[in-house]
Amino acid sequence: MARVGNYFLGHPWRILVHSFQTCALAHYVFNHQYSFGWGYGPSMLPTFLVDGDIIIFDKHHRRGRDVRVGDCVSYHIPVSPEEDGVKRVIGMPGDYVLMNSPGATSDRMIQVPKGHCYIVGDNMPWSRDSRDYGPLPLALIKGKAIAKGQLVGWKPWRWFEPVPNGLAIEESS
Amino acid sequence: MRPTWARLINKPSFPPPKTKWFHLRSNPRVRQFGDFGWYLFVIASWLPVVVMANDHFFELTRINGPSMYPFLNPDKDRSLTRDWVWTWKYNAQTKLARGMVVIFWSPFNPETRVIKRVVGLEGDIIRTKPPYPVATVQVPPGHVWVEGDGDVTQDSNTYGPIATGLIIGKVTHIVWPLHRVGRVKWEEYAGKIRHSRP
Repeated sequence: MARVGNYFLGHPWRILVHSFQTCALAHYVFNHQYSFGWGYGPSMLPTFLVDGDIIIFDKHHRRGRDVRVGDCVSYHIPVSPEEDGVKRVIGMPGDYVLMNSPGATSDRMIQVPKGHCYIVGDNMPWSRDSRDYGPLPLALIKGKAIAKGQLVGWKPWRWFEPVPNGLAIEESS
Repeated sequence: MRPTWARLINKPSFPPPKTKWFHLRSNPRVRQFGDFGWYLFVIASWLPVVVMANDHFFELTRINGPSMYPFLNPDKDRSLTRDWVWTWKYNAQTKLARGMVVIFWSPFNPETRVIKRVVGLEGDIIRTKPPYPVATVQVPPGHVWVEGDGDVTQDSNTYGPIATGLIIGKVTHIVWPLHRVGRVKWEEYAGKIRHSRP
């Protein structure tokens, strides 16, 4: 252990360089593997709380890789570039989706264009989503929400629970 | 000094002579993987730094198509060599200006990157070209209107204004071929671009 300490004290730049490398490694993990964030807002209410939920994202699904209908994804909001949002994918390229909420004045449907997806919040009356700004380019997707939870209690394995694919077809027993 | 008999039979000295990385390499945990393993570790520890630099700061990019024809790849019909450009990626999605050359993820195919010129910023009213269904369009907030310089191009006239979140970087310099090395003078194009403020 003393040898490692000497190694870091030996050269003034060494500790800087290694801190930089560690930051870069953390950046790699958070941008290419897994990351976390705090959800805020009522748009996904039955799934995510208005405030306080910690969401874990799988960054392997960035740019819409292997995203299926029903997954919760985080994405750059196209009309306000500084913000990220979390919504549920209800249509992939080629699918026909309702342009408005079910039961709204018009029942027009559109086909989701190539390279886009259609995202809608679970709390439909309080959500700003593809019904406002149209289909979302898949390249704006940053990751898929795989777990949610709060750091409550003394059992870390009970902090988080998986976010299920809400539109998966259930198998009848 | 090692004893004469040790030098004559070329027996490795112990402890080994001090090298640059002696302090860490002399750690028995590190030594179990040998010198090769150690150098491999040193190289691997710099890979995340390279990834971060390419993600957020700069990248050398090869231009592979005719969409910016008179400006990039002018010899596309005469030679197989392609232009290389230097892309600056820090704050690429903000402070955009008309005339800038940007690289972004194609809205139609999320795994391909395309290079185009920014023609209109948010709020601009654009006179569109044929494939677009309407004659004039106002660029919505958070979007830009991009067009290629060449005739063979699939740009905003096909897929509409693009979200600035799709933009990866701004092209700042041409790196290859050598006779065109230099900064991209996008300001000279800014005046030629047709647009009107509302």
